[in-house]
Amino acid sequence: MDGFKKRLRDSVQLRLSVTLSLAILIVAVLAGIFAFVSAFDEAHEMQDDTLRQVAVLFDRQQVSLHYPASQEVDGDNEESRVIVQYLADGSKAIGNDDTLIPLPFPTTLADGFSTLNVTDEDFRVLVRTTARGERIVVAQETGVRDKEARESAWRSLLPFLILFPVLLLVVGDLVRKLFRPIAALSADIDRRDEQALHPIDEHHLPTEIRPFVVAINRLLARVAQSMENQRRFVADAAHELRSPMAALSLQAERLAATEMPGPARERLLPLSRGIERGRKLIDQLLSLATAQASSDRPQTAVSIHEVFRRVLEDLLPLAERKRIDIGVESIEDVHVTINEMDLLLLVKNLVDNAIRYTPHGGRIDLSVELTRETAILQVKDSGPGISAEEQSRVFDPFYRCLGTDEAGSGLGLSIVKAIADRTGARVRLSYSDEMKKSGLCVSVWLK
Amino acid sequence: MRILLVEDDLMIGEATQGALNDASYATDWVKNGLTALATLDTQHYDLVLLDLGLPGKDGLDVLDSIRTRNNPVPLLIITARDDLGDRLRGLDGGADDYLLKPFDMAELLARIRAVLRRKGGAALSVLDNGLVSLDLISKQATTLENSDVQLSSREFALLQALMIRPGAILSRSELEDRIYGWGNEVESNAVEFLIHALRRKLGSHVIKNVRGMGWMVSKSV
Repeated sequence: MDGFKKRLRDSVQLRLSVTLSLAILIVAVLAGIFAFVSAFDEAHEMQDDTLRQVAVLFDRQQVSLHYPASQEVDGDNEESRVIVQYLADGSKAIGNDDTLIPLPFPTTLADGFSTLNVTDEDFRVLVRTTARGERIVVAQETGVRDKEARESAWRSLLPFLILFPVLLLVVGDLVRKLFRPIAALSADIDRRDEQALHPIDEHHLPTEIRPFVVAINRLLARVAQSMENQRRFVADAAHELRSPMAALSLQAERLAATEMPGPARERLLPLSRGIERGRKLIDQLLSLATAQASSDRPQTAVSIHEVFRRVLEDLLPLAERKRIDIGVESIEDVHVTINEMDLLLLVKNLVDNAIRYTPHGGRIDLSVELTRETAILQVKDSGPGISAEEQSRVFDPFYRCLGTDEAGSGLGLSIVKAIADRTGARVRLSYSDEMKKSGLCVSVWLK
Repeated sequence: MRILLVEDDLMIGEATQGALNDASYATDWVKNGLTALATLDTQHYDLVLLDLGLPGKDGLDVLDSIRTRNNPVPLLIITARDDLGDRLRGLDGGADDYLLKPFDMAELLARIRAVLRRKGGAALSVLDNGLVSLDLISKQATTLENSDVQLSSREFALLQALMIRPGAILSRSELEDRIYGWGNEVESNAVEFLIHALRRKLGSHVIKNVRGMGWMVSKSV
């Protein structure tokens, strides 16, 4: 019951349905009672009218009354019979039986309507003094009168009995239909990914929720703006950092070219390495900011093998330093429609990662395969792989798997994810060797 | 050799000028485009190093002004702008090479030497990547271990194709195109056969195989 109360408080739709239903119910009950009572009274009044008309008829026609001696008349019914007799004859009543008239009405009755119990039955009685001075009684059993009045009263309730469920159904359906655009809208917004900050279409929406949607749209625009500012700040910062880093590394190079004692040279090496790492980090930051920028880039048909070749030309020296056997497994080339720089950056980061985390003498395989609609690009290495628990986290910027002493930027897979999100590609991580749970296999479904 | 360095960033300018002086180039350093144009009018330079993001007059405009004055001075663009449009505009506008910041000094010096060599008109007669040098006239190759190894014309054609751009991977069909003229029947395994022969003559590390892609010689070291 508490659950229902809470739902009632929280749901406008439920509250509306329940309130409307209750209102209909109350109105129907009140109207029903009123209709019943008035129809009941109406029927009684009409019956009284009949008695009065009968009395008037006798008066006007100056009919003399003879009491039939118990012979049957066709159409006569003791229950609904209207009895007419002289009031004075009440004392001449034969017995205590309502089938025989005259009935034993008390002779002291006043003119007008009254209800009496005679011969153990209730009678509605009209006493009238005629023009000739005789007092006559017009009477009818109340049992049949009440039965007829009740029937007519029940009949007056029939429209309400039909209308009530029909109205409930109509109200329920109407409320549900009215709230359907809201449900559809929320489902629509729910389906969006976090990068989709385009405004909600406010046409075809009821005017009541349109201001709400307009406000959400304004908020979305502000969020998009602030995200864009943040991204631009990162890009600008990385760009500004490039020049001093370049100068630093040039000076270190100059220093290395001079005559210097052995210990000094020994200390210069880690310094240069540190500078190199900083440079690389700044480059990766800039790449990430570029990858996240939502600007439309020209798409062309790009040969995947050509991209492999350019990436390998770039990164082969790194692989050779670690004696890693790196190569392309697929024989057939595949062309996809994509921005070439995007794909190049994506593959380069995957291969760079693979080289980084594959031990000396390891092996890296690149391949591409065309399935019905998509091209699947794979980079498999013989490194330690990424455990299932860590697979969702490695796409976060600056996340590095524990237990690796590799001085990477921690941005490689973030860049891959950003490019994949923007180009509609899907990235999945798995083990190269599922049995031994080792080696990272990155599969990219390109659109 | 006199070089004009146009660079507005103090730290990079200082470092570059120092390194160029170390490499025995007389280097003048100006910090904006207008001064650069004025200096070029009064002084002869063998080479200009031009930054694109300059105050006053943009680097590409400076380049334009230099070329419209019919000044043929060799020019190398150094910039942090890595967008393809700028690169194409620079090269189409008459720059001889384009180097992206941040760069290694060794690479800048190598590019300077290459530009000067091309501009000097001295036909390049030797290809060298530090491991092997190939004499284009005598068709002889020299490595650290073996000097003046005579190559057959097909071996030479294959090695030359690889040495034109050290570090580039060439596929089998690309190498076949270089070895065989139009209409020549391509023998199967010819490429493998020639590479085997070259490795035997020059050492196995000279030509590297990239699995699934092709062959290459190492980039200059």
